Amino acid sequence: MADAAFLALSVITIGSAIAALEMRSLIYGSIALMGSLGGIAGFFLLLDSPFVAMFQLAVYVGSIAVLILFTVMLVKRELIFKKVEDKRRKFVGIALMLIMMVSLGAVILDSGIRQITTDEPAVDFREIGEDFLTYYWPALILMGLILSGAVTGALVLARRVDEENGKHIN
Amino acid sequence: MSVIAPNFKLSEFIKSILDVGFWTLLIFVLIGLPLVFIVLFVIEMPVINGEILTPFLALTWLADPSRILPIVKAFMTTDLFRIAAFPGFGFAALIAASTIFVERKMMAKLQLRVGPFYCGKLEGILQLMGDGLKLISKEIIIPAKADKPIFWAAPVLFVGTAAAFVALIPVAPGWVVADVDVGLLAVFAVIGFFPIITILSAWAANSKFPFIGGIRALFQMVSFEIPLILSFLGVVIVTGTLNLSEIAASQSSFPWIVFFPIGAIIFFITMLAELERIPFDLPEAESEIVAGWLTELSGMLYGLVQFGTYLKLYAFAGLFVVIFLGGWNGPMIVPPFPAEIITEGIQMGPVTAQFPGLPVFTQEMLNGTIWFVIKTVGVIFFIILPRGVFPRIRVDMLLDLGWTKLIGLAFVNIFIALGLLYAGILGPGGLF
Repeated sequence: MADAAFLALSVITIGSAIAALEMRSLIYGSIALMGSLGGIAGFFLLLDSPFVAMFQLAVYVGSIAVLILFTVMLVKRELIFKKVEDKRRKFVGIALMLIMMVSLGAVILDSGIRQITTDEPAVDFREIGEDFLTYYWPALILMGLILSGAVTGALVLARRVDEENGKHIN
Repeated sequence: MSVIAPNFKLSEFIKSILDVGFWTLLIFVLIGLPLVFIVLFVIEMPVINGEILTPFLALTWLADPSRILPIVKAFMTTDLFRIAAFPGFGFAALIAASTIFVERKMMAKLQLRVGPFYCGKLEGILQLMGDGLKLISKEIIIPAKADKPIFWAAPVLFVGTAAAFVALIPVAPGWVVADVDVGLLAVFAVIGFFPIITILSAWAANSKFPFIGGIRALFQMVSFEIPLILSFLGVVIVTGTLNLSEIAASQSSFPWIVFFPIGAIIFFITMLAELERIPFDLPEAESEIVAGWLTELSGMLYGLVQFGTYLKLYAFAGLFVVIFLGGWNGPMIVPPFPAEIITEGIQMGPVTAQFPGLPVFTQEMLNGTIWFVIKTVGVIFFIILPRGVFPRIRVDMLLDLGWTKLIGLAFVNIFIALGLLYAGILGPGGLF
């Protein structure tokens, strides 16, 4: 049963990734990108990590894809893109991708992934939290600082003070 | 004198009735019966009274009515029933539909108008049905330069996403469609689809008003998702779980609104913004941009979006009830099912009617459902109420409220939760 789901997810993910690259309409391209990211969320569900799957959906499909859609809708694409059709580049790109995939696959298959037992229960998200607070606490604090710095910076950049004759309005 | 049917002949009338009967019987025998048997044989049948329910036994309820209840009970344990009828779509659709009517009537009363009055003898009670029939029979007009596939798909996707949201809400102990361990994160993930569908629908219409409305809807929903998530983190910290059923069950002695009133207020305000209700109805501001992102939708496409909106309203109200108001918990008000009916049956003079399979619902389930519905209806009332009272606020005020005030208050709420936890009042060793 998992195999059928795996095959379907693979087809959705890879197919919509190709569609995202190849489609002429940018809107349809970003919808296809959403499908690809959603397919990856499905893979996380198959791998018994619903926590990561939900964050994949919420962050990548719910926010990043929206951001891309928003940007695409607000700019005129004729102004930023110039269509360059080049057969040779395309084939070189495909060949590069194949080389990358084969070498990465060899590395991954060599890394002992075949010895993993697959009938383990799903990882509880409380364990992830415990790990973050005990073993990985420096990383957690670093991430927290970077994120809060980024948020503060964004707020400062986006802040607009409307002043009229030295008086605040609104 | 006018006659209704001037060419009426009794013989032709009888012939037409016989014709209809003949063709119905023929079609039933040729198509209906094989279909019934295929369905009954292919679908896995439950075990009732120690024997597997075959199609022949299933049809014996026609002769023996006492078999109906076990069959119905076996059907109620299936996933299909949960998704389509009780805690899922049908139940939510019923509440959503009644909300639409109650909202119109209540708005009218608040503003000293009459509201729906003529359709149906009693206070316009059939108005909703009339509106539905009108929407179904109306022609669907697609703008000439619209992007047709997206324009058609968006309303359907909207209802589908709202139904997925509804599926996560637990109504009574054990009665939830999708009981996922990461329930609140699933809610977060599902809500994230609404802005995408909205902006795609708005873009696909290829018209000014929908596009402006869609962009407003997009930034409003995306920016209010953040305080929404932060507002229920306090409850998550204290209960230590993301499962909505466990959160509801943890409030058996007191609802979390007692300890987290700030979180509840933030949640309520962000809920209004996510639902595009007045005072945050900028995406549909009818006095500025016609109907916002719904402008070009017509007929049943518009009907579907409206239906999805009210399903979403029910789901948000249910989520508020589950997180802050105690979910299904409440004093037991349903009397226990009389035991002598189960053991002896009902005596009607000389006849004793036995009903094997009673009671259909347990006492806890009925009681939980009643409390959940009472609380949800109360929350829906408070969601509707601002519509009759408040004006619409400006865009910059909306964003200022969301990004500075609500997020700041949400952090105050989280620190309250941490304080309660570390002081030992809640959490392990505390009251709860």
